[in-house]
Amino acid sequence: MSDQITLEIIQNSLQATADEMFAAMRKTAMSSIIYEVLDMGTGITDAEGRIASSGAGIPAFIGVLDKSVQFILSKFGDDIRPNDVFITNDPWHGGVTHLNDLVLAMPVFADGAIIAWTANIAHNSDVGGMAPGSLSGDATEIFQEGLRLPAVKLIREGVTDQAVMDIITCNSRMPDFLLGDVWAAIAAVRIGAKRLEDLSDKYTPITFKAAMESFMDFGEKTALAELAKLPKGTFELSEPQDDGRTYNVKVTITEDEFIVDLRDNPAQDPACTNTSRDGTIVCAQMLFKSVTDPETPANEGSFRPLKVLTTDGTVFHAQEPAAIGFYFETEVRVYDLIWRCLAPYVPERLPAGHFSSICGTFVGGIHPDTGRQYTIIEPQIGGWGAWNGRDGNPCIFSGFHGETYNTPAEISEARNGLYVDKMALNTAPGGEGEFNGGRGLVLEYRIRTQDGFLTAGYTRSVVKPWSLDGAKEGSGNFIEVDTVAGGREHYAFVSGLGLTTDDVVRVITSSGAGFGDPKKRDPKSVKMDIKNGFLTPERAREVHGYKE
Amino acid sequence: MTTTKRIATDVGGTFTDLVAIETSSAGMKITTAKSDTTPPDFETGVLNVMAKGGIDPKEVDFMVHGTTVVINALTERKGVTVGLITTEGFRDTLEIARGNRPDFFNLHYEKPQPFVPRYLRAEVPGRMTYLGAERIPLDLGGLVDIVEHFHAEGVQAIAISLLHSYANTRHEEAVLKEVQRLWPEASVVASHQITREWREYERSNTAVLSAYVQPVAARYLGNLDESLREQGLPQSPYIMQSNCGVDSLAATSAVPITMVESGPASGFWGAAELGKLIDEPDILALDIGGTTAKCSLIEGGEVRIMTDYWIERSRKSAGYPIMVPVVDLVEIGNGGGSIAWVDDFEKLHVGPQSAGALPGPAAYGKGGTRATTTDANLWLGRINKDFFCGGAIDADMESAKTALSGVGDKLGVSVDEAAQGIVRIANNNMVNALKLVSLNRGHDTRDFTLLAFGGGGAMHAVALGQELQVKKVVVPAAASVFSAWGMMMSDLRRDYFVTQLADLSDGAAEGIEAVFAKAEGEARDTFKAEGVDPAKLTFLRYGKFRYQNQEHTTEVLLDGVVTNAALTKIAADFHEAYEREYTYRLEAPVEMVGIHLVARAEVGKLEMIPAPLGDPDASAAIKGTRDVDYALEGKHPATIYDGEKLRAGMAFNGPAIIEDPGTTVVIHPSNTVSVDAYGNIHILLEGQP
Repeated sequence: MSDQITLEIIQNSLQATADEMFAAMRKTAMSSIIYEVLDMGTGITDAEGRIASSGAGIPAFIGVLDKSVQFILSKFGDDIRPNDVFITNDPWHGGVTHLNDLVLAMPVFADGAIIAWTANIAHNSDVGGMAPGSLSGDATEIFQEGLRLPAVKLIREGVTDQAVMDIITCNSRMPDFLLGDVWAAIAAVRIGAKRLEDLSDKYTPITFKAAMESFMDFGEKTALAELAKLPKGTFELSEPQDDGRTYNVKVTITEDEFIVDLRDNPAQDPACTNTSRDGTIVCAQMLFKSVTDPETPANEGSFRPLKVLTTDGTVFHAQEPAAIGFYFETEVRVYDLIWRCLAPYVPERLPAGHFSSICGTFVGGIHPDTGRQYTIIEPQIGGWGAWNGRDGNPCIFSGFHGETYNTPAEISEARNGLYVDKMALNTAPGGEGEFNGGRGLVLEYRIRTQDGFLTAGYTRSVVKPWSLDGAKEGSGNFIEVDTVAGGREHYAFVSGLGLTTDDVVRVITSSGAGFGDPKKRDPKSVKMDIKNGFLTPERAREVHGYKE
Repeated sequence: MTTTKRIATDVGGTFTDLVAIETSSAGMKITTAKSDTTPPDFETGVLNVMAKGGIDPKEVDFMVHGTTVVINALTERKGVTVGLITTEGFRDTLEIARGNRPDFFNLHYEKPQPFVPRYLRAEVPGRMTYLGAERIPLDLGGLVDIVEHFHAEGVQAIAISLLHSYANTRHEEAVLKEVQRLWPEASVVASHQITREWREYERSNTAVLSAYVQPVAARYLGNLDESLREQGLPQSPYIMQSNCGVDSLAATSAVPITMVESGPASGFWGAAELGKLIDEPDILALDIGGTTAKCSLIEGGEVRIMTDYWIERSRKSAGYPIMVPVVDLVEIGNGGGSIAWVDDFEKLHVGPQSAGALPGPAAYGKGGTRATTTDANLWLGRINKDFFCGGAIDADMESAKTALSGVGDKLGVSVDEAAQGIVRIANNNMVNALKLVSLNRGHDTRDFTLLAFGGGGAMHAVALGQELQVKKVVVPAAASVFSAWGMMMSDLRRDYFVTQLADLSDGAAEGIEAVFAKAEGEARDTFKAEGVDPAKLTFLRYGKFRYQNQEHTTEVLLDGVVTNAALTKIAADFHEAYEREYTYRLEAPVEMVGIHLVARAEVGKLEMIPAPLGDPDASAAIKGTRDVDYALEGKHPATIYDGEKLRAGMAFNGPAIIEDPGTTVVIHPSNTVSVDAYGNIHILLEGQP
């Protein structure tokens, strides 16, 4: 029986299963970047590897898992058996992002045939390579960024391949964490697979597959309906970058297509700010979803009208063996590029620019109380842009992250053995408009031992978050280091900087950009901004023309 | 003959409920009554319902009171202006929150606004470490100006939350004392008085929300107590809490935030107690009301209490954390009044929007034009149109039909099919919620009894039970006022959660035992101060464990004093509990993150008296027959029973319907039914012994 209600019930259950996998993985992971920051995603694909449902987590991971499963299918063909579990992390072997992100995938069988896949992806703390945490701005080829897993079987018909497991753990500086995290991921795909088998048993495999199919068709229908409401034409933008390069985009919107043309862009970076073509597609998918239908869950159908054009060997379509460690900064740039290109034409769908950087921050050293190594690997929160009618949000994660949580100071001090001197809103001028951008962050880490290190890569440091309709741009992202010797250093990209006792690392993230002429801001709001200490009376006079 | 009279009153949004139970050697007499809730003078409604039920306050031996005043003040934003005092460098913690964007494709997401604006968030210098050592001495010098500023800005309550106060309360205590000295009339609360767990945002927000509702709740409880005592109530009522226990009126007035989820808690506690009574200690409890359905899992007769509670949290919003002991429950927007709607793409949805009490379901005939779950149940014959709401309302079937055909037209199906679809979607939503508390946590639903209560629980219970293949379905006697019964079964209970890191290596036992002993000492002192006989006090000790480097913990019940010899068993219990929930175990070291101590004492708890089992013949209770549409199983002629005429020992088979003034029990074709010695209805599903 495949009436509409049954199909809907199966679809709801797919969503519940993806959520359950997410919850299981979150609770069992060992690395804080997985369990606290939730730098992970879970999903279900159909037998062909098309994404059918995804759990909570981060939008930047939703479009990854289908590409992984499709690669596994093409590599293994008939050699896929019940209770196999596959692992990959290499962007040229279905891994999409960078080597830290391990993807696990498990086929789901009914009557001897694959009916679906369960999969997940998570950032693992260390997969080897030239630097602790596996990410280094100094990398020039992928071999320096860790162990490459070119889509292999980790578990064969239920039996763990200990050789593969040993190779993976042996290559990590944090083998216990890695092992715990990999088991958390295995548990998640297994729980998901069990649920899907039950579902298919109950409703028959044919109905189960029909439900997935209709869910995807629904996704396409939704996308096309919204696409019809968008202005048609070709929209272009060239944007200078912090490093002096210029990125270009052309977006063409027709009745049934949304074409993102990124062919005219710089050659791939000799260092590690590159992304794979798959990664670029994920960025276009995210923005496309937000501009068409942010409401309903994403699946393969949601993205059918989207076409992405790239040129092999460019920064958005890097060739093997390019280094891709900091792929996320390149991706967030192309995501923001498309956003900025379209915002003036659909301001009701797209707010002004946000701090728009992962602000990936890596601090490590020896915990003074336990003597164990600690490594902080975290994205930062920052200010979001305003839109017509509302100020932007203060301090939330970038468009790349979603159900992601910052680390409480109390937990950071216990886990990492440093002091958090301050965690506050950044009140630096910037983002003023008729509606203001939200505030960024000031976060201070005071180091407690010698021989620590700092690695970071922030963009939107020189070229600031962009405003709409005559408002001010955002304040910019950067890092300051107050050395115990008395100096103050300023960074956007830094690799392996030595830290010692009583050095203070100050993370500063940008405010979002404003919307509309600052002179038109409601004086009552300006007065409240002053009262709340977000604005000095001098700045209020200068920017808003405020008179008390 | 001595008679003991116990009463429970429950103030809801629309009605104030009363259950009174008299026990004597002659047996039990149960009285129920309902009266309008009377905002803002809620005590009037309580006195009214007692008068209506013929209760003389002078004769009441034991009274429990449940109220939604706290959750209402929070969701309606009707608390007071709060000022927050926190650690230097952290005034913005409340506004930064955790930075998450649950609605992640929505670029117009609106982050929840903090309950205290920035200009009312003040800082004091001084730092503790996570180990509880003083790193920077506390400087109280700025407090004079802070308090003066708060005063000038109309602050009515003050919250204090300092970094690492869970590890060492000294700085918070000093600030609390100084603020009270500077402003003796102010309502002040420090975070350590509510919770001793880490995470500064969650703890600060908890203190702030407690301060926000404190004057409102204290006024409410004070007025209630005064009115009842004036009428002769011998002893102040106990107040229902979110942890399934009751607490004294005085303690609740000081920290009222612990009442936040007291409504659902009493029902789930009732489920646990009823389970013990009928020898079914493993229960899936389901409470279906007008706007929501809530469910919780009870294992071995124990409810699960957690401190990871958030209000207004959803896929669309980050919500606000309240770090107090709350019964572990899942709530979804699916109740009798939930509205069915069809989206732009011809997909049918039920809830979370509800028709409420006004206009209510279309069949109320009060102007509701949108089909609800209740309308679908009426249309399918599951609810008797001639005995709607116990006969209190004439079912407007024309309006119900119009509303349902509105849904059917959009889907291109008949009215019957639309109604079936609504019931099936509603059931599926509830099944997924029930799975969240059971299967998702490694519990096999086949080992559990589904206990369904609330106005709508019994209508959907069998369908849900069949889907989950539960052992059996039980509908308690007086299911519609079951929460009030649960209150009367509650103990005076306090849950102590304390964060304390410890490994499980040999020699660690002493330190762990000390944490428990300290918490137990605190509990003894508190109970003693309230005049509770120390002999009545019992403890349950839980440890919160994880593999080293993990964050989330698994609770393990500990047996007796923690000794070095016992550590091996504790670790083994953890491995087992962990594997059950997550399917694997690790060779990694195990560490303790904190303790959860349950301290409880019986205070006038009700003893149920069984009735003798009579003849199984239930024909005396038969009202008639009618066609009932069971959605998946199609239409069948069902025997209709009058719930008020069912007696202990009666038994019959489905298809059937039991009609009670407060609820309707839908019995599917292959079910068998029996009534136990307490009047509870046991339903065995197909193919069960």
